[in-house]
Amino acid sequence: MKEFSEERLEKLLDNVLKPSRYTGGEMNAVMKPFDQAEITFAFCFPDSYEVGMSHLGIKILYDIINRQPWALCERVFTPWPDMADAMRREELPLFSLESRTPLRQFDIVGFTLQYEMCYTNILEMLDLADIPLFSKDRTEGPIIMAGGPCAYNPEPLAPFVDVFQIGDGEEMMVEVIECMRACKQAGKTRLETLRALAKIEGVYVPAFYEATYHEDGTLAAFTPTDPAAPAIVRRRVLLNLDSAAYPSAFVVPYTEAIHDRIVLEIMRGCTKGCRFCQAGMLYRPVRERSVETLLRQAEELENATGYEEISLSSLSSGDYTHLTELVCALTERYAEKKVSVSLPSMRLDSIVKQSLEEAQKVRKSGLTLAPEAGTQRLRDVINKGVTEDDLIRAVTDAFESGWSTVKLYFMIGLPTETDEDLQGIGHLAQDVISAYFSVPRNVRAKGLRITCSASTFVPKPFTPFQWQPQDTLPQIKEKQARLGEILHQVKGINFNWHEPELSMLEACFSRGDRRMADVLYAAWKNGCRMDSWSEFMNFEGWLQAFDQCGIDPAFYANRPRGEKELLPWDFIDAGVTRAFLWREWQRAQRAEVTPDCRLGCQGCGLRRFEGVCAE
Amino acid sequence: MKMLVIFEKKERLRHVGHLDLMRAMQRALRRSSVPIAFSKGFNPHLLVTFAAPLSVGMAGRREVMEVPLSDEISESDFREKLSAALPPELPCVAVRAVDDRHPAPMALLQAAGYRICVKDHAPELLAAVPALMERKEVMALRKTKSGEKLTDIRPMIYDLRAEGEDTLLCILALCEAATCKPELLLDALTEQAGLPERPRVLCTRTQLYGEGMQPLESL
Repeated sequence: MKEFSEERLEKLLDNVLKPSRYTGGEMNAVMKPFDQAEITFAFCFPDSYEVGMSHLGIKILYDIINRQPWALCERVFTPWPDMADAMRREELPLFSLESRTPLRQFDIVGFTLQYEMCYTNILEMLDLADIPLFSKDRTEGPIIMAGGPCAYNPEPLAPFVDVFQIGDGEEMMVEVIECMRACKQAGKTRLETLRALAKIEGVYVPAFYEATYHEDGTLAAFTPTDPAAPAIVRRRVLLNLDSAAYPSAFVVPYTEAIHDRIVLEIMRGCTKGCRFCQAGMLYRPVRERSVETLLRQAEELENATGYEEISLSSLSSGDYTHLTELVCALTERYAEKKVSVSLPSMRLDSIVKQSLEEAQKVRKSGLTLAPEAGTQRLRDVINKGVTEDDLIRAVTDAFESGWSTVKLYFMIGLPTETDEDLQGIGHLAQDVISAYFSVPRNVRAKGLRITCSASTFVPKPFTPFQWQPQDTLPQIKEKQARLGEILHQVKGINFNWHEPELSMLEACFSRGDRRMADVLYAAWKNGCRMDSWSEFMNFEGWLQAFDQCGIDPAFYANRPRGEKELLPWDFIDAGVTRAFLWREWQRAQRAEVTPDCRLGCQGCGLRRFEGVCAE
Repeated sequence: MKMLVIFEKKERLRHVGHLDLMRAMQRALRRSSVPIAFSKGFNPHLLVTFAAPLSVGMAGRREVMEVPLSDEISESDFREKLSAALPPELPCVAVRAVDDRHPAPMALLQAAGYRICVKDHAPELLAAVPALMERKEVMALRKTKSGEKLTDIRPMIYDLRAEGEDTLLCILALCEAATCKPELLLDALTEQAGLPERPRVLCTRTQLYGEGMQPLESL
């Protein structure tokens, strides 16, 4: 067994990139005596320090666990490959940042699943920690947990993870660690502990279920094999966001994180019902925080961090009821301290000119808009309730308020897409340029910069498009080339696109079943890790892994599913019902728009949860 | 009014680079609610200056930072407020209020003291100290802004002593006109000792000095 030593760590640190990723000691890092805690939780973010430290969920749960006097939570990130290799060479086990304790000494090792392409990093981290990768091989040591948006289809990770937490974590996490504490005190076995955890709403213990398959490879049945396991796992819903715990201090990194700022979660959930958007379906219903609460949180966090920027976070900030009031109050309070306020995730139809101007007062940042599709027809198919007039009005407002940098996000490969839709993206870009020049020279800011970014559509579970195939790699590449051609003709547009190989793998995992775990393991064995970093993406290793497992990626990525097919995630009740999603798919094919449910209930299924749909 | 802040950068933070350390200090000052002066201009920032950047990999015992203030504040009040806003690995050791006309610490700087803990080949390296100090001339390849330059670093070594079994104590020139980094001294010692390559060390800057080898913060 590998032992940890400070001396050997120090030796490694002199020879790796950005060693301060591994040394901790940041402001507001919670330092508790490790051996005095009754429950110890290693919170693992399966990506680099800079990415993980930008993530809000880890801040919330780190705070919630550490608030319990008897519990301790420490952070762990994926070592950059140079460090991972050095640790293997030196036989130094993966350790936590705060107390530098090896992971295998924790009671719980928990991973947050933000995107599918970090799954190899989970195996990498377990291996570096000297913890057996497969659940069945672990008879002692930490319980491996996972949660976050990708846990809504947990199956590709089922053999590696002991316990999934599905849904909002604020309350569930406390129940889970309390249950662990009680089991530990009572001297319960590992199996008894897992059984106790399985009774908590939102918890899924994959070892208690069995999947069987038809001859054509589709799922035949998915059944519990243990009396403690519910047939349907119901997602956890936090009813009151305003009174939910929120950190009053963030850990402030030394080395700059991707997003290094105060984040205020103004609202959770979105009622717009964009049909491609998994978050929009999963985080229902909409729950808002009050201006009073947010101003208090801003003040606490500003005092505790000294950050220069406050970012308002939600899926669709423009839909927040008190946006103008909040932005005005924040800018007024913090102008003197030179703290800027930024508003990501604004929808076109909701841009409030005043909010833009307020946000502009302290510091200027770029404006990002996501029309997603190039024609009205396709925007109707995906239920992106935005018209070209909305877009043009929004950018004109922005140009008049002194903005000159605009990013436009589109998706290619959406269901029913044709060449006309690609041409539409070119037209839209041209219209944005014309809108800029329609603003008088003395009003608009100099130096127009427009970036068009095209990502590849990935069908996701629990969306109306969950039955639909993804375009094949050659199809995607052809469309990217075509779009490049179209945008080349529009002067002054900067065009970029995502790696289609990555989107294909994402599609395989997002709708994968337990057999994808074999591919994941084989790919990691082939050396795949840090897949979302283009410099480490090893597509050959992945193709080889599919081959080794006798699995065709097209079965997961490019195959249309039938209305009656049992889907790997059907045992999870995420709130939205299958019937609602299928109905939405039918409407999509007719390019019929479904209005925002704040304007009238659309029967998505959330009403079944007591008290969640207040409006 | 300006405040000279003497702070420690502990071993755990030795890999934090100069720019990151500056940002950490600026954020600490913002948290502390002491009356700090901002720059004018489009992106206002705090006007904090450091006596000398500390190399990545090095800890510091008595580093000096100058903070221009926008209002009067007592030394004790300032120190208390700043201390409360600093992480445990970056404590404030002392503060001293000075006049606005007080020269910038950077301009007063002449030399720095280092404690170098030698991790391997310590006996050989320590044994080479007297021979090196007896030499009239120690030529070393110095990297400057204009390229590499062969320089005699002997006059820049003000003091060099062995302590205990594995530690070197030295005072080296550190100012605009002439700077001798500890690495240069170590390379010279390595050569003197006949070792094939520079041994692994842990280096801490213990003190900054001004005119007459007085501690910088006291001038």
